[in-house]
Amino acid sequence: MPVSLNYIFKRIILSILVILGVIVFSYLLLMLSPGDPAVKWAGNPRGPGATKAIELAREELGLNKPLYMQIVNFIYNFLTGNLGLSIAYKIPVSQVIVSGFAATLELMLFTYFFSVPLGIWLGIYSAINRGSRIDSFIQSISIILASTPTFWLGSLLLLASNSLTGFFPYGRVSSKLALSTGFTPITGFYLLDSLIQGNIQVFIDVLVRLIPPALTISVYPIGVLARVTRTLVAEALLEDYVRAAVAWGIKRKTIIRQFVLRSIVPPVIQISGLSFVYSLVDAMVVETVVFGREGLGSILIDSLHKADFRVTLALAVYLTAFYIIVNTLVDIVQATIDPRIRL
Amino acid sequence: MLLPTYYSRIIYRNLKKTRFKIGVGISTIIVVLAIIAPLIAPYPDEGYGYIPADAGERKLVPPSIEHIFGTDALGRDLFSRVIIGTRTAVIQAVSVIFISLIIGMLIGVCAAYFKGIIEITLNYFIELFMAIPSIVIALFLRLTIGQGLHVVIASLVITWWAWYARISYVYAKSVVELEYVVLAKLSGLSALKIIPRHVIRNIFQALTVQAISDLGSALLEASAINFMGLGLPSGFPEWGVILYEAITERGIEAFLRSPWLVVFPGILILVTTLGFSLVADPLREDLDPRLRRRWKLWF
Repeated sequence: MPVSLNYIFKRIILSILVILGVIVFSYLLLMLSPGDPAVKWAGNPRGPGATKAIELAREELGLNKPLYMQIVNFIYNFLTGNLGLSIAYKIPVSQVIVSGFAATLELMLFTYFFSVPLGIWLGIYSAINRGSRIDSFIQSISIILASTPTFWLGSLLLLASNSLTGFFPYGRVSSKLALSTGFTPITGFYLLDSLIQGNIQVFIDVLVRLIPPALTISVYPIGVLARVTRTLVAEALLEDYVRAAVAWGIKRKTIIRQFVLRSIVPPVIQISGLSFVYSLVDAMVVETVVFGREGLGSILIDSLHKADFRVTLALAVYLTAFYIIVNTLVDIVQATIDPRIRL
Repeated sequence: MLLPTYYSRIIYRNLKKTRFKIGVGISTIIVVLAIIAPLIAPYPDEGYGYIPADAGERKLVPPSIEHIFGTDALGRDLFSRVIIGTRTAVIQAVSVIFISLIIGMLIGVCAAYFKGIIEITLNYFIELFMAIPSIVIALFLRLTIGQGLHVVIASLVITWWAWYARISYVYAKSVVELEYVVLAKLSGLSALKIIPRHVIRNIFQALTVQAISDLGSALLEASAINFMGLGLPSGFPEWGVILYEAITERGIEAFLRSPWLVVFPGILILVTTLGFSLVADPLREDLDPRLRRRWKLWF
C-alpha cells in the first residue's frame, strides 16, 4: 500500500464535513437573507395559487419547527435528493442539475483532454529554451491567455467561424440532423451517445460544435499550466541528479522524460485540478450565453429569470461538492505518487 | 511595514525589466483614466447611462470620427461608456481584493497563531468558503438583495477571503515558529501585540504581491458576473455590463451585426488584467528566491 488508509480516511471525513457545511450555509442564506423564506422557496409566486404554494413551501421546509430541526430536515432532503420540483422546469431539482452537469462536463473533459498536454508541453519547451526568444514569446502568450475574458473571446471565435466558414456553431447539436437520424440522448454526453448509437453524422456535428467553446475555455488552463510547468521544469533542471545525468552523458530527451517529467507530475496534477474547477465557472458563463448550449449555464440563467431558489441552492451545494470531490481525488492521487505529502 | 524607501527600491530594481515597465505603464494609465474619466469622455452623461434625446437617429452607429467606438443600441456613445467604465473596473477590483485581503489575513494569521480548536475551526471555514463558486453566490444575492455594486463586491468577497486566509495561514505557520516570536510569546507579550508586530509584518510583503497579481482575476470574475446579468443593472458604466447588453440581452446574432460593441470593452478588460499581472509577476520573482536563481547551468 503506497499511501496510508489513514490519510485517505482523514481527507474523506473532511470533505464530507465540508459538504455538510455547505448545505447548512445555503440553508442559513435562505433563512437570513431578506424576505420570507417560504415565499422564496416557492419562487415568489403570484396570482390565485400563491397562498397555497407558500403554505406548501412552509410545510416542506418545516418552518414551524425549531431551527436545528429545520436544518436536519434540509440536510436529509438534500442527501436523499428530495428537494421537490424545480420552479423553472417543473421536474425534480436533482434531475435538473444532473442533466445540466452532463452537458457541461462533456465540454470540460473535452477541453482538458487537449489543453493540459498542450500547456505542459509549452511549459517544458520554454523551460528548456529559457532565456531565448521563443521562451519569452511563450511566456508573453501564456500571460495574455490567462488574462483573456473568456466570454469575449468566445464571441470573437463565433464571429470568426461565422465569417470564415459560414458555419454558426450555436447549440449542442443540430436539431434537424438529430431528428432526421433518430438521435436520442442516453447519458447526456452527446459524443458518447452518438458513438453508442453508431451515428457518425451526429458525432461529427457534435464534435464540430464542441470545438469553439472548448477553445474558448482552454485559454485559462493552457496559460496557467504553461507558466507553472516552466517554473517547475526549470527548478527540476537545477537538481543534482539532473547534473549528474548530464555528466554521465545521458541523452537530453531521456533526462527530460525520466527525471524531469516525473518530478513535476504531482504539482501539475494539483494545478490542473484547481484550474478544472475554475474553468467550470468559465464554462457556465460561456456555454449558454455565447454558444447557446444547454448545461449548467442555462440552468443558472433560467433560475435567475424564474427566481428559482431551489435550483440555486442545489447548484451551490452540488458545485461545491464537485469541487471538493475533485480536490480530494487530486490530493489522494498526489499522495500516492509523492511520498513527501502524506501528512 | 510601509517603508517608502524600501518599496521604491524594489520598484526601481524591477524597472529594468521590460515586462514590469509595460505593466506599470498600463496600470498607471488605467488608474489615471479612472480618476479623470469624466474629463476625457466626450459625452459624460451618456457614459453614465443617460439615453440621449436624439437616440433614434444614432442607434448602433459604427465607429466614426464623431463616435470613436461607435454607439450602442440605445444611441449612447460607446467610447464614453467604456472610459467611465474604467472607474467601475478599478473600484470593483481594488475593493474586492482589499476587503478580502484584510479579512483573510486576520483569519489566516489567527488560525496559525492560536493552535488547537481555533485552528481547526478556522481552517474548516477556510476550506468551506474556498469551495463555493462565486457565481452561484452572486445569483443568490441577485435574487434576494437585488442589483448593485455592493452585490458584485459582496459575492466575490464571500469566496475570495478564504483564498487569502489560506495563503496567510501557510506563511504565518512558519513565522509563528520563529524563535523571536516564540520568545515574545514566552515573555508574556499579548497576542494583540505579537500578531501585528511580528507575524503580519513578516507575511505582509508576500501577501501584497499576491494581491496585486489577483487584481486582474478579480476584474475578470466581476465582469463575468456582470456579463451574466447577475451584478450591476444594465446601463451601468461597466465593461461586463456593456457586453451583457450587447450579447446576453440582444442575443448572439445581434452581435454579428454590431461587433464594435463587443470588441472594445473586451480589449479594455484584457489590457487591464494583463497590466496588473505584468506588474505582479516580476515582483513575485523578486520575492521568491527560488525563482530569482539564474537558470543558465547544466542543461
